[in-house]
Amino acid sequence: MKKYLFFLLGLIAFAGCKKDDVGTKKFSFEKPVHFPEPTYTFDKNPVTKEGFELGKKLFADPILSVDNSVACNNCHVKSVAFTDPQHSLSLGVEERSGIRNAPSIANMAFMKEFFWDGGGIHLDFVPPNAIENPLEMDEKLAHVVYKLNHHSSYPALFKKAFSGIETITAPYMLYALSQYQVMLVSASSKYDKYKTGDEMLGADELEGLEVFEQKCAACHSGELFTNQDYRNNGLDTEFDDPGRARITESDADLGKFKVPSLRNVALTAPYMHDGRFKTLEEVLEHYSAGVKQSATLAPELQQNGTLGIPLSATEKQRLIDFLKTLTDYDFIQDQRF
Amino acid sequence: MKKLLFLSTLLVSIAFLSACKKDEDKKDPGTLEINFDNIAIVNGVEKQLSLVAPGSADYNYTNEMGQNFNINLLRYFISAIELDGPNGEHFHDEMSASASGAKGYYLIDESIPSSQRVMLENIPAGNYNKITFTVGVDSAGVVDGAAGGVLDPATNKMFWNWNSGYIALKFEGQSDVSNGGTSGTETIADDNQKGIAYHIGGWKNIPGTAFVYNNKQLTFTFDENVKVESKNAPELHMVFDILSMFKGDKMIDFTGNHNVHKPADGVDMANNIAKAFAYDHIHQ
Repeated sequence: MKKYLFFLLGLIAFAGCKKDDVGTKKFSFEKPVHFPEPTYTFDKNPVTKEGFELGKKLFADPILSVDNSVACNNCHVKSVAFTDPQHSLSLGVEERSGIRNAPSIANMAFMKEFFWDGGGIHLDFVPPNAIENPLEMDEKLAHVVYKLNHHSSYPALFKKAFSGIETITAPYMLYALSQYQVMLVSASSKYDKYKTGDEMLGADELEGLEVFEQKCAACHSGELFTNQDYRNNGLDTEFDDPGRARITESDADLGKFKVPSLRNVALTAPYMHDGRFKTLEEVLEHYSAGVKQSATLAPELQQNGTLGIPLSATEKQRLIDFLKTLTDYDFIQDQRF
Repeated sequence: MKKLLFLSTLLVSIAFLSACKKDEDKKDPGTLEINFDNIAIVNGVEKQLSLVAPGSADYNYTNEMGQNFNINLLRYFISAIELDGPNGEHFHDEMSASASGAKGYYLIDESIPSSQRVMLENIPAGNYNKITFTVGVDSAGVVDGAAGGVLDPATNKMFWNWNSGYIALKFEGQSDVSNGGTSGTETIADDNQKGIAYHIGGWKNIPGTAFVYNNKQLTFTFDENVKVESKNAPELHMVFDILSMFKGDKMIDFTGNHNVHKPADGVDMANNIAKAFAYDHIHQ
């Protein structure tokens, strides 16, 4: 009898395991093999299907804004890799213009710091900045929590996502939003398939990759295509926006902004922290002929006494051919997101 | 028979030994209640603080520069509490932070009397004559992301979204010499031309960087031992003198320096804050 009991228990355990694998695989975080280790604190906030779905609902819900008019996905649109294709400077409530361009939020699970100036040090702390910024959602966290607790469906959804909670609190709302965002992993572009040996790049694209590695990869390095550091890339000589210096409070960082990831870059126009360039051609023209000298200019942009990056017309074209291989159609069409 | 005798001897000695051990293993752990009394020391006399309604023109305090002021709000974090005794006694308050709550972090708010009493439990019995704590929330409370309890940014109103981290100490009030134009405050209305706001923060303690670290780790020695054991309920009284916040190596001038919202601007006041705390007395 005892034997049978063990057998039965074993079966149950096995079945439990199996069910788990099949049922939640799609909704658990998986690091792409060629990616670095994630930075997100999954030990505190592991991804579950319920938490992810809740985060997704919150991300698309204007309830986060003061007049219920602006949702996260107003400025982070899935079809363009979660950026804002329409505005150089995104619009908040009452059409208020922000001060910076909405960056892509792909691969946030791997980032050390957030925002153009790196003022965010953990993904959980990113949404409150948008929610409470008067130029964005102009709402108070406490009031969002109040609205969620008095909503017809959110209380039940939170209890499903986070067992044991009595009421909705801000940290659980931020956990849910993070669960959604960490899942937004873009790692199946043509370039990725080339890296994993599943697809070839064309001759032009390979040429572009070679130029890229020589002339761009010092800053746009690694599989995330960013060294996650801050650079003044020669856009201006005076800085209305202090950039990284706002956070470090050091003049040595004036006009520096986070080196952006280039994944899906063909989709994420307009470019730069203020969205001043509309096309990749304009961006490359800036790097080859438009870089301006200033005290904090990136050393990478003043090599051998020359300002900018020397690029021939052909090199520019090949670079764009290569950059387009970073577009991840699986990502922007992923039904889960 | 011999065997039985041996056995009983053994039993008796075990009983004796364990009794002995129990005795030596001392008394059960006890508690210590720490009171953070916010005061104003006027002419050497400690006075309980009194808050005014925001916008009030009733100025009940004067800083070292002779400038009148009053207080709408005073709130600060205490964390990482440790106790030490003359014979090697040591206790450190457990700390953790996640969405389900925060342990070891205390938010002292002048408008909430219960918040000013911090109860430490499970302290090994013994004599203690030294306390160490941090004013503010250090990196361990920040780098793991959103947290609940007193670290919940929605309820504590002590979080900088633009530069992730907890404000160590928040002061808001009015001074008749203020030039007005404070921003990002909890209690000072836009049209209040006499506001003074000091939000002191900065937790990045990274050598070799420009970051300003404004949290303060402070240690105080008592003039007598506080005896902790299960049958005692001792109370320790610490004081925080609001007037000391505005004097020290650098005086705070309410005319020019009345709206502080970033680490570098709060350095002088953070240094003053370190000297505004003091050990006061113990109730055994």
